Amino acid sequence: MNLRSVFQRLMNIPVLDPDDARRRKLLNLILLTVTGFSLLLFVGAALAIIPRLLGGGGVIPDDLMLLFLGSLGMVIGGCFIFAINRYWSGVVASVLFLGLFTLMSAFSDNPEQVANGRSLFIFAIPILMASVILRPYASFIFAGLCSLIVALIGISIDYAPNIPAMIGFFSVALVSWLSARTLEQALADLRATNRELDRRVAMRTHDLAEALIRVQTESGKNQAILESIADGVIVFDATSTAAIANPAITQLLGLPAEDILGRSIMALTEQHMADDDREKMAVLLRGGMHEPSAKLRWDNKTLSVSFAPILDGSEHHSGTVVVFRDFTREAELDRMKSAFVSMASHELRTPLNAILGYTDMLKVGVYGALSDDQQNALERIAANTKRMLGLVNNLLDQAQIEAGKLTLYIGPFAIHDLLADLEATMGVLAISKGVEFSYTVENLPDVLLGDPQRLNQILVNLVGNAIKFTDQGYVRVRAYRHDETHWALQVSDTGAGIPKEAHSYIFEAFRQVDDPITRKYTGSGLGLSIVKQLTTLMGGEITLISDVGQGSTFTIILPLNPIQEGHHERATTGAGH
Amino acid sequence: MSEQQQALVIEDDFDAAVIFSQALVMNGFQTEIIRSGDKALERLKDFRPALVLLDLHLPQVAGTDILAYIRSQERLRRMRVIVVTADPRMAELCQAEADLVLLKPVSFTQVRELVSRFRPAQQA
Repeated sequence: MNLRSVFQRLMNIPVLDPDDARRRKLLNLILLTVTGFSLLLFVGAALAIIPRLLGGGGVIPDDLMLLFLGSLGMVIGGCFIFAINRYWSGVVASVLFLGLFTLMSAFSDNPEQVANGRSLFIFAIPILMASVILRPYASFIFAGLCSLIVALIGISIDYAPNIPAMIGFFSVALVSWLSARTLEQALADLRATNRELDRRVAMRTHDLAEALIRVQTESGKNQAILESIADGVIVFDATSTAAIANPAITQLLGLPAEDILGRSIMALTEQHMADDDREKMAVLLRGGMHEPSAKLRWDNKTLSVSFAPILDGSEHHSGTVVVFRDFTREAELDRMKSAFVSMASHELRTPLNAILGYTDMLKVGVYGALSDDQQNALERIAANTKRMLGLVNNLLDQAQIEAGKLTLYIGPFAIHDLLADLEATMGVLAISKGVEFSYTVENLPDVLLGDPQRLNQILVNLVGNAIKFTDQGYVRVRAYRHDETHWALQVSDTGAGIPKEAHSYIFEAFRQVDDPITRKYTGSGLGLSIVKQLTTLMGGEITLISDVGQGSTFTIILPLNPIQEGHHERATTGAGH
Repeated sequence: MSEQQQALVIEDDFDAAVIFSQALVMNGFQTEIIRSGDKALERLKDFRPALVLLDLHLPQVAGTDILAYIRSQERLRRMRVIVVTADPRMAELCQAEADLVLLKPVSFTQVRELVSRFRPAQQA
């Protein structure tokens, strides 16, 4: 421990009030100076006295003795006051010190000089000190005390009270009070500023700590999510360089993380993807396509890859999150499914068509004349085969739609012919049930654009349903202009109607309204689903107005100018390879 | 002109061939059935029927090749060709070269009625 720190510790008073601490420290400094000075005087006096005492009965002069005892008293007093100041009270110590100092000043010279001469100035010292080490206003108290002492001493030697000196004392007190007060004020302001500053720093520190914790938890959470996610995830930055990769992706791609991170998309996909897939991937990463996902081949796997751009506040593209899913099995299933669909569509339909063909031939008498019963049996065979064929067609269409393999062939067709054909096939059915069937064409050109076969399929399904669920009344088909760019096909009946709560699901595959009233009707539950999907494929919309006992009205709104897809497959499910 | 006009049905499916053939017979044609592409090409070298009913889906040689062959031969210039297919895309493609394109499934009655347009001249 060096001298400086010992000194510091001796001088500083450990109290909380900064004003008190400052004053007491100041008092300590003054005490140190006075005590140190007194110690020197005491040592000097002692050095003068000791030889005389040792010299044998030498007379010690009075003033020397006075100096010796006085300085000794001052040293002891200084230490005493220091102790009070340090361990008890700064105010008591200050009052004691200033009081003693004032008294000593009063007797430090002969009364004449004190009351009216050279020693008057000495009283300025306790007055000045009082304002600094006690309180600013204490200078006035000591100015009063000093005036009293000077007056009393003056009276004791028959002098008139020294008014100019007293005025001087109070002037000193005033100046001292002003400066001490200003100083204290400035210090108080400074402390307030510091406190405010401290408060702000503390606040900011707190905020920062909280934010750090938040970020840490957040990133911890994100990390946990990223690591536990079963799909492979790579985050690419704006330059299409892999910045983040999760454990699942390393497994999926069969590459260690260090072979993924920091590599550009082109470097990453090299030797694993075909060139056109690599190009596609790069374009998708730049956000160059609207589709958010793609099926891409990686080595011998099929991956379903989804892209989500990361946009910062200013809509600036700062990177892309890419999620990879192993689609190999699904792609294989898809492939098998479409293979099955195309096989089934041939293998199931061919024999049914043959049955119909032979039945027709029998009916027209190719193999000889028939009795009425035979003719009747052939009608039943034909009707049942057609029903079977319709069922098979619906199933296959559903499968084709699901596999994204259903293609529309858009071309010009005559709406009157379409509806006349419909009447030819469905009219018989209506008549056999005693239901009136009619159609109208309103405000439409003779020739429209569309896929007449699929439109026929839609109408056969809707009208077939309508006839099935109508026991009396009518089934009407209306073709009309809906608006500038759309036309509509409407099928309405006076049948059982469809309960409101069923409207939401009747267009789903394999759903029929499960109701005791309707259960008696048979069907695959595919008709409306196919109608809906065909309508969607045609860029149209289907609406239904119906309720129990109110009949039903299905309206299909179609564009007058459907998009012609040429030879492209209209994928509804985006089948894989 | 009393001799019956001849027709050739090129179709691999036996039942379909019988049905088509019968539809032609009922329209006054004398018909012959061939069930593979290569045999059909072979037969067309020395046989010149008035009408060919051609399925596009055939073993050995594709129906489109047979159609192209027929259209390339000056001696078969007057031959009428009815194309039958289940593929609407192919139907579209053959529209120009064929005299009539039928999209499968096509019923006996339909074929019978449509073929009546190509009836031998003396019966028209």
